[in-house]
Amino acid sequence: MLSINNLYAGYGKVEVLHGISLDVPKGKVVTLIGSNGAGKTTTMRAICGMIKPQSGAVSLNGKNVAGMDSHRIARAGLAHSPEGRRVFSTMSVRDNLTLGAFPRFTGARPKGNIKADLERALELFPRLKERQDQLAGTLSGGEQQMLAMARALMMNPDVILLDEPSMGLAPILVEEVFRIIQRLKADGITMLLVEQFAAAALNVADYGYVMENGRISVHGAPEKLKNDPAVNEAYLGGANKH
Amino acid sequence: MDIFLQLTFSGIALGMIYAVIAFGYQLTFATSGTLNFGQGEALMLGALVGLSLAGGVMGGPYINYWLMIPLVMLFGALQGVVVERIGVRPSIKTKNEFGWIMSTIALAIIFKNVAENIWGKDDLTFPSPVSSTPFQIFGANVQIMQVIVVLGALAMMLAVELFNRKSIYGKAVVATANDSDAAGLMGINTGQVVTFSYALSSATAAFAGVLVAPLTLTGATMGTALGLKAFAVAIIGGLTSGVGAIVGGLILGIAETLTGYYISTGYKEVPGLLLLLLVLAIKPSGLFGKTTIKKV
Amino acid sequence: MKRNSLILGIIAFIALVAFPLVIPNPYYIHLAETILIYAILLFGLDIVVGYTGEVSLGHAGLFGIGSYTAGALFFKLGVPFALAVPASIAVTAAFGALLALPALRVTGPYLAMVTLAFGTIIQILINEMTFLTEGPLGIKVPKPSFFGHKLNEVEYFYVAAALMMVALIVVNRLLKSHFGRAFQALRASPVACDCMGVSVYRYKVFAFVFSAGLAGLAGSLYTYSEEYISPNTYNFELTILFLLAVIMGGRKTRSGPILGAAIVVMLPSLLSDIELFRKIAYTAVAIGVVASIWLLAKKRKSLREIAIPLTATIAMAVFSYKLENIIDWRLTIFGLMTLFVVYYLQDGVIGFLRNLLEKIWPNGFRKVDEYGALANESLAWEKSEHSGKAGVDLLHANQVLMQFGGLKALNQVDLKIAKGTIHGLIGPNGSGKSTMMNVLTGIYKPTAGAVEFNGGVISGMTPAAIALGGIARTFQNVQLFGEMTATENVLVGLHHTFKSNVLDVMLNTKRYRAEEHRARIRAASILQFVGLTDLSNEEARNLPYGKQRLLEIGRALGLSPSLLLLDEPAAGLTAPDIKELVAIIRKIREHGITLILIEHHMDVVMSISDTVTVLDFGQKIAEGKPAEVQANAKVIEAYLGGDAGSNAGAAELSAPPSSTPIPA
Repeated sequence: MLSINNLYAGYGKVEVLHGISLDVPKGKVVTLIGSNGAGKTTTMRAICGMIKPQSGAVSLNGKNVAGMDSHRIARAGLAHSPEGRRVFSTMSVRDNLTLGAFPRFTGARPKGNIKADLERALELFPRLKERQDQLAGTLSGGEQQMLAMARALMMNPDVILLDEPSMGLAPILVEEVFRIIQRLKADGITMLLVEQFAAAALNVADYGYVMENGRISVHGAPEKLKNDPAVNEAYLGGANKH
Repeated sequence: MDIFLQLTFSGIALGMIYAVIAFGYQLTFATSGTLNFGQGEALMLGALVGLSLAGGVMGGPYINYWLMIPLVMLFGALQGVVVERIGVRPSIKTKNEFGWIMSTIALAIIFKNVAENIWGKDDLTFPSPVSSTPFQIFGANVQIMQVIVVLGALAMMLAVELFNRKSIYGKAVVATANDSDAAGLMGINTGQVVTFSYALSSATAAFAGVLVAPLTLTGATMGTALGLKAFAVAIIGGLTSGVGAIVGGLILGIAETLTGYYISTGYKEVPGLLLLLLVLAIKPSGLFGKTTIKKV
Repeated sequence: MKRNSLILGIIAFIALVAFPLVIPNPYYIHLAETILIYAILLFGLDIVVGYTGEVSLGHAGLFGIGSYTAGALFFKLGVPFALAVPASIAVTAAFGALLALPALRVTGPYLAMVTLAFGTIIQILINEMTFLTEGPLGIKVPKPSFFGHKLNEVEYFYVAAALMMVALIVVNRLLKSHFGRAFQALRASPVACDCMGVSVYRYKVFAFVFSAGLAGLAGSLYTYSEEYISPNTYNFELTILFLLAVIMGGRKTRSGPILGAAIVVMLPSLLSDIELFRKIAYTAVAIGVVASIWLLAKKRKSLREIAIPLTATIAMAVFSYKLENIIDWRLTIFGLMTLFVVYYLQDGVIGFLRNLLEKIWPNGFRKVDEYGALANESLAWEKSEHSGKAGVDLLHANQVLMQFGGLKALNQVDLKIAKGTIHGLIGPNGSGKSTMMNVLTGIYKPTAGAVEFNGGVISGMTPAAIALGGIARTFQNVQLFGEMTATENVLVGLHHTFKSNVLDVMLNTKRYRAEEHRARIRAASILQFVGLTDLSNEEARNLPYGKQRLLEIGRALGLSPSLLLLDEPAAGLTAPDIKELVAIIRKIREHGITLILIEHHMDVVMSISDTVTVLDFGQKIAEGKPAEVQANAKVIEAYLGGDAGSNAGAAELSAPPSSTPIPA
């Protein structure tokens, strides 16, 4: 579904990614873990077009989208719930969700039943349903995270990128976020998940990649990674060695 | 007292013109963080094109005033697209603030000079589409055109506001204003939204031009001062608030007509600009603006 | 480098002396005089535009104030030249301050518009205040007289030339001093600049006022040069002309403004002669075509990149051929030139030439740091002036609440930092660590609660004041002054060691030279301490990432802080770099500096911290010795995330694959 091949990217002159390759098969959840500054978010940004890769391929549904503007990549079927949530704070929860379906309104993606999908998204996130007319900026961090995820779903995308969905959330909310990811997985939605909570991410994922200094250091099935010392290193910076 | 009231009424009409132009600044500033330093020139071109269509300067009139308005707005929109493509887009790409400031100014100079060469340097009169016989409110003379100006300006702003709230494309504009990167992730072509906001902004200015023209003189130099004072209004009211633009416009419009009458017409530009400095000193985000928090 | 500028100076001096002798035509002498006068103003405008990076559209207004001060003083009171000129400088500077104090609270387009408004007001006032200015009639002023001798055009030319040279030297000295460094720093990173104790606002205002003073000088000289002034001169187009001159000549140079002045002064004469204009346009096409072919052949540029400028040049030539009356189209051509300069000649002619030279001769412009040899690590340290009592809490954040919209980034956090310790601050991403840093350094004002430092309340103070009070910091996203060298970056940190004022700098006094010498030795010593001696003259943006982080620490040490805040210093560093960093942090503590360390590399935090505080979701969830914190169940849970780690915690990692399904 989504496959990245030898991707190089960075900011200005600084190269952050030194050749990343990874695969997200259809219907699977793949996670990308690694320490802070390893380049996880940069990878996400390079995939979705927020930054232009210096070289390498990003193929979505067999079509190379590397170097395209983010709106075109989105229309090609990629939804992104970005780091820091980035909800439209002066708009209502409902409007935020409506905008998630923007390519469906314009005919860039199959229209389907937008209204029904909106109601379904609100059912999936009961907290949002209670607050559907509230401005997104007045939501708590956890609610904003749910909104960002629900908004990504509204596109009916082929792949969803989830960048640090647990960031800044209280443990109880982190639990809820992962429960939702599990449920989306059960629905057969393809996801690439970047997480700092590696254990939780590996529990939900079908496959994992570990990043270190802009490179993939190890990858494999979650069970394999959990026993790998390199994962331990990337995870708590080795704090759990003892 | 009658005179005072009358001045207040003219002030309100003038203030609403400022408000519409200021509203135009807000449109582009919201979506792109940039604004057209030639907004006044967009107004001037609108007025002159309108005059050529509905007046006698180019061998016309070809059509009547009311039918001319949509044509002028279309012209304004095209002019806005030109400004955005030539003056703004290249600088947004390179994040060069100095670049778009200088190039929109350069375009403004060019537009003004071209207008001088086409329509001449002298001011022209714009025939009033309605009777210029004033009617009385509380003993003060009010012109019908002044009422039209106020209503027209309000209608314009209301229309844009409704579009933004109700239509999916309007929502896309608001989303871009909120967070351009995130809007891109929703599949919104934010570049197009910026172009669109420039088109809308210039169309608004052109509309303001044909509204104000019958009340004042029309000519190549009419725009610069209006554009500048409307910017003062945008800052006084806050660059993010539509209500702010209206309140700021009224404050400035009334202050100006009063100064012009009670002090000297030569000084009538001064209060607005002083008010601008004062607001900056006390509340830089404007009377209705929100203070933003910078991220480190 | 120094010798080069001396030689250049002598050549310039000879050229200026010789000019009237070689070309005695009064028209050309007057033209040259105008160039010199504009150059003075442009030196000042370049301080604002080139160095502090702000756009001023008010300089024609300031120029007008200078002109009219001199004019009115002569016309109304008969004040002589020697008094009128300083008075013009003072009055214009005062107006500059009047504008800058409110206006510089905003930047960018706001400031541009506000200065434009100011320029407009000035033009109106000149027109309307007839009792002072004679309004549209204008004022006639004869050339100045000295001891009964009225200067002729040539003599006045020498006066203008002498004053231009003085302005050049003064501006040069200012920009090479700590003031100039402050200007560049505030542009490169306002936030870092404030956190180095250099108040961005104050120095912006200062730069603007100084620039206004120069505009005043230029204005008064202009009055005597023209012998007649009227309000229409000081219009919007003049302001744009000035800006165009600065960019076209080349920002951040002295030669740029002179060249720019020459171009814009001669421009009207060029544009008034249609034949000449046509020739220029044709030549431009010829050059354009040749250059395009060359660039295409060498594959430096694609056809698409070249198409627009080439078409524009050709269109210009066609336009010039069709044109009958060029005067009417003067402003259009002027506007097109501005567009061209903005898009294709951003660094100006001088910048363009310099880039060319650097390509040919890459190391020609690299300076050697003569202070490297004088460096000595022990000189890097200066006893902190802010040392509190030992054992006492140096810093106490009391019930700090920081709210952004619906988000409580910090929720009633208490934080006590004991003097002389390394205090680790950890927590998952978004837990409020960086927000805490920003509260402590004054970048955010807490919604509620207070921060006490050394016994005084600092919350609510400006970042610059807090920095000068003894709190230095580094940034999570490196905030160096990119175009300044490593040495200059550290010198900005040492800004507070300068007691010299502007006059000291302008006159190059002994006090100033001694301070600069001392600061440079200390900067070299600090660079030696952080291991950057070899890179001292490299621009900060060209340093490798790890070195940039070290340079940030060095710059912060320049403040002689009693508390140093390090925000993720090890992020993105390689293993050997991290080792070096840990050694440096330990040494800093040995010199009596208290540290707060935000870090995700647990081995770093746990091995060097005395106390560790853990934040999660904006709240403090644990605090204590590293070992205690590591064993704390709440901490483990926060780090592992709610469900997955809820019962197993860190142990899960080394345990066999978990088959526990996630509750759905």
